[in-house]
Amino acid sequence: MNVTIVLSAVLLSVNSAEPIDTALLHLDEVTITASHQHTNPISSQNTISVDADYLLSEIPVSLAKGLDGIAGVQASSIGSGQSKPAIRGLGFNRLAIIHDGIRHEGQQWGDDHGLEIDRFAINHIEIVKGASALLYGSDAIGGAMLLSSYGKPKRTFGGSACVFTQTNNLLFGVSARLEGYKEIQRDKVQSTKEWFYWRVNATYQDYADYAVPTDSFEYYSYRIPLYKRTLRNTAGREADGSLTFGYTKGNWHTCLRVYETWAKSGFFANAHGLEVRLSAIDYDRSRRDIDLPRQEVNHLKVLWHTAYSHDHWGIEVNAAWQHNLRREESEPVSHGYMPTPPNSLERQFSKHTATLNATARWHVAPRHTLRFGLQNELQHNRRSGWGFIIPDFEQYRVGAFAGEEWRINTSWTLHAGVRYDFAHTTIHPYNDWYKTPVGDTAVYMARSEAIDRDFHSFTWSAGMRYAAHGWDVRANIGKAFRTPIPKELGADGINYHIFRYEAGNADLQPEESYQADMSVSWENHFVRIQVDPFVGYFPNYIYLTPTADYREGLQLYRYTQAQVIRTGAEAMVSVRPWQYLDINLQGEYLFARQLSGDKAGYGLPFSPPWRLMPELKFHWDPMVKMSKWLGYAGVNVRVCGAQYDIVPPEKPTNGWWTLNLSAGQQFVLTSCTLHLTLKAENILNTKYYDHTSYYRLIDLPEAGWNLSAMLSVDF
Amino acid sequence: MKNNIFKCLNMALITVAATFIFTCCENKSKDTVPPQITEATFLPADCDIYYLGDTLLVHFDCSDDTELGNYNIEIHNNFDHHTHGTSDVDCDEVEGEEHHHEEGEEHEHEHEHVEGAWVYNQDFAIERGKKAATIDLAIPVSEDVKEGDYHFMLRLTDRAGWQAIKAVPIHLKTPSI
Repeated sequence: MNVTIVLSAVLLSVNSAEPIDTALLHLDEVTITASHQHTNPISSQNTISVDADYLLSEIPVSLAKGLDGIAGVQASSIGSGQSKPAIRGLGFNRLAIIHDGIRHEGQQWGDDHGLEIDRFAINHIEIVKGASALLYGSDAIGGAMLLSSYGKPKRTFGGSACVFTQTNNLLFGVSARLEGYKEIQRDKVQSTKEWFYWRVNATYQDYADYAVPTDSFEYYSYRIPLYKRTLRNTAGREADGSLTFGYTKGNWHTCLRVYETWAKSGFFANAHGLEVRLSAIDYDRSRRDIDLPRQEVNHLKVLWHTAYSHDHWGIEVNAAWQHNLRREESEPVSHGYMPTPPNSLERQFSKHTATLNATARWHVAPRHTLRFGLQNELQHNRRSGWGFIIPDFEQYRVGAFAGEEWRINTSWTLHAGVRYDFAHTTIHPYNDWYKTPVGDTAVYMARSEAIDRDFHSFTWSAGMRYAAHGWDVRANIGKAFRTPIPKELGADGINYHIFRYEAGNADLQPEESYQADMSVSWENHFVRIQVDPFVGYFPNYIYLTPTADYREGLQLYRYTQAQVIRTGAEAMVSVRPWQYLDINLQGEYLFARQLSGDKAGYGLPFSPPWRLMPELKFHWDPMVKMSKWLGYAGVNVRVCGAQYDIVPPEKPTNGWWTLNLSAGQQFVLTSCTLHLTLKAENILNTKYYDHTSYYRLIDLPEAGWNLSAMLSVDF
Repeated sequence: MKNNIFKCLNMALITVAATFIFTCCENKSKDTVPPQITEATFLPADCDIYYLGDTLLVHFDCSDDTELGNYNIEIHNNFDHHTHGTSDVDCDEVEGEEHHHEEGEEHEHEHEHVEGAWVYNQDFAIERGKKAATIDLAIPVSEDVKEGDYHFMLRLTDRAGWQAIKAVPIHLKTPSI
């Protein structure tokens, strides 16, 4: 294939033209049904491609949990079955979630809600391991997750529907997709075809209280019994919907997408609130009701995408508006000097984000491609309610980058790029709504000062790739950054989830990191081996450190910056000794050290210990693509090491292993195709603690055995 | 030939990483032990009875392998008879009080902020550089608070930020004339 076409196709993710990269044959086939569509244009970067089939075979409700089986990707449980993704131990604000070309806002706010994305509307995920600030800016310091919705429909009318269920929290859900296109040929001479297409997605799920294999747990020194081994009030409901209208003509493609996700879920009643107390609410009367305390999350996104793609140049513009509305309600209870509040609205955040991105590609010479980009983002956040944790703020960010990719020959590629970012953050002051006696007078205590800060960052990256003779070697070096978030700058109050006083630091500098990573793989028809080592140095890692002091009766935690070094590696081996059998082994290891500050010598909190994931997968009819009886059955073991490299207030966590089974079968009927997927997790009902789970601090074990099933139909 | 180059590159990267780890990171000693509160000499003792208008005498010995931090004392009512991990004692035997507390039984929990219940919450500092300390405090008990079961809670940090918690059930009574 002509190199020019491959490059230009790869460089712009135009939905209508799904690029096929022939040089990357079998590239990402370790655990994942590879789709060679590349969203991330820098070929030297270490990316993992995940398609919809993989996501569907990984039934867990949370998108992050479904990716947990990939070496280098972790899901940090944030309670009640929800989890957030992390790449090499870095998540939250150190991981950019790019949804259809736009930075997804919302997942990084709080510690206890999921991604706010309908996973059934996602067709393809690309995980970029390692810093990728060049293209994605702030937050991509740990990596990026590129989520793509379905592109142009393949049939004039079609769709799919599925039902799914899981035993642990008695979840059931339904999801449906309808889509179609219309082809118009106005001019018979030029034969330029126009396409209009549309799509509707809808998903609903309902789940009961989350089950854990324990009868009681200890929270902040309180011993709390559990009723029927379930976490009180962790039930929830979620409804998602999205609409897409698209138009393509020749090299043009434009589409409008509207996404809405709504979720209402209870907070674990015994681990939330001003005081650890038993409430008058009878939580144990039903497993499905959502009592106080609870949260309601709304995320609305409207996105407009336009691209023009030519052999020699291309341009892509994405404009979006997002609105996050999150309400946390709890029983009004007086605390300290705060009188009983008038209502149950403890906290509300209403954040608007407007984004405008433009990327251009110019194929300057036969083997040279230049890429430019300009990204703008404006955030506006307003809080309300009687509790305070995140101040009102506005933030404007602008970033510009330029990069070059030089395809020396069919096997060697080099890339280099530079980026400049500017951010301006305005934080509004906040004073308590009640008076606190100070000496002889009573004052409305200041919780947040007025802060006005400018942040500048200059970053760069360079990389190489060699792909030939079964080898694929990629190496990257670069600098990445992250702008401090308003919570880190201006928080000043009690975190009721973890019972500590958190103080922001208005003087924080942008977090920077220098990183080098590599990916070396070799394969033949029988075996594939891959090793991905990395090392990163942070001169000023932002870290919430516990201090020896007390404030308002709780231990004071302060945001501070310290030098940190992180290193580690992932390794993957897959063998196909027989065409019906796949044997996979994946492993990961991570090491982190703080080199300065009052926690010098310690690691970082929630550091994932080493993991080993052997898997045996039996396929039937693997060679017959159109077979009616495509199916698989697999068994895998998840082995996780102990984590004794802890930071206060963590507890050392012992190692564990779980045994899991999975199976899938396809049935091709005359008018439709049925897929049945089954999964049994932790079938030995092992009681274990996950060091990266937020509930580790309160001694709550992870879920016991869980069966899940999904039946879907494509028509 | 090329294969060897990559192997070398890879080895080099691993070597650099390993050197970093073993030279600059492992020479710092770190505190991994939380501070200790001596059980034997601790006052108040489990189920001690105090009279309203009296003084609550606090005595404890504490130590840390590196350096002690600070402490906080909090007293809250235990009218709902919850238990703490550091003290499973439930002082049901106090005269004149009857508690029905059976497993699974439906019972109304009294709320935390009961009118007139005593709330005490005070932060205290320990002199810098100490590895051991003996603390004696006298906390006056107001005559105007509600009698009943309370929890006395001590929270103690060390310099590294580890925290130890000790909870003691106590009982407050109106003095008999």
